[in-house]
Amino acid sequence: MSRSAPSSAVLPIARLALRVLIVVNWLGGAAIAVLLIGMPASQWIRSALKIPSSAEAGGLIIGLHAIAALGLVAIPLNYLVLKRLLEIVETVRASDPFVAANADRLQAIAWALLALQILSVVIGAIAKAIATPAYPIHVDAGFSVTGWLAVLLTFLLARVFAEGALMRDDLEGTV
Amino acid sequence: MAIAVKLDDLLHDRRMTLTELADKVGMTLANLSILKTGKARAIRFSTLDAICDALGCQPGDLLRFEPAAARKRSASR
Repeated sequence: MSRSAPSSAVLPIARLALRVLIVVNWLGGAAIAVLLIGMPASQWIRSALKIPSSAEAGGLIIGLHAIAALGLVAIPLNYLVLKRLLEIVETVRASDPFVAANADRLQAIAWALLALQILSVVIGAIAKAIATPAYPIHVDAGFSVTGWLAVLLTFLLARVFAEGALMRDDLEGTV
Repeated sequence: MAIAVKLDDLLHDRRMTLTELADKVGMTLANLSILKTGKARAIRFSTLDAICDALGCQPGDLLRFEPAAARKRSASR
């Protein structure tokens, strides 16, 4: 006989938040894509950011270009994380979260988070390299202890789910 | 798995149906069917106790270790 936990507001909120975040992620991706397409016209960027045309400014533009390109790479990774999370939420709604598929989803999320952390470190390094006293660049990227902990935690959770799914299979086959 | 469940033979010997056994031991027909067809992954001592009590048999009469049959089954998969 299957029992389900008392309903709470967490699941509908999580569903809505994840759906909104998926849309926001794609909009962010579109904005970065527009920026990347606009970047070759570096004159426009220079005037928008009030950067004088000099050799140093050339490096700045190339660095910004690289950051935008890496930001674009992060969009499908973000989507993968959000989509898999949404799928996990759906299985919780169906009162059937301890399945092997969710272990696979968590594993995929862990790999995506790992890639995002590496991207973040690279973006932070580029920003640090191209920033000058005249044009300081503040990006929310770089090494993050909590970010790497989240990666570790997600890999561990994926293992926990895989073990849990196996245990549940055993329990279901017990008479 | 090399463990074979001999519930069919025991029921046949006692001229008892699976439904009757289910009523006697208080188990669902579905669960007993899983056990009878060898699809169960584990059996509780309480289940074993109830079945042995209802059929008047020993656990060894119900379960048999058959490695050759298991090899044949895994080869055919």
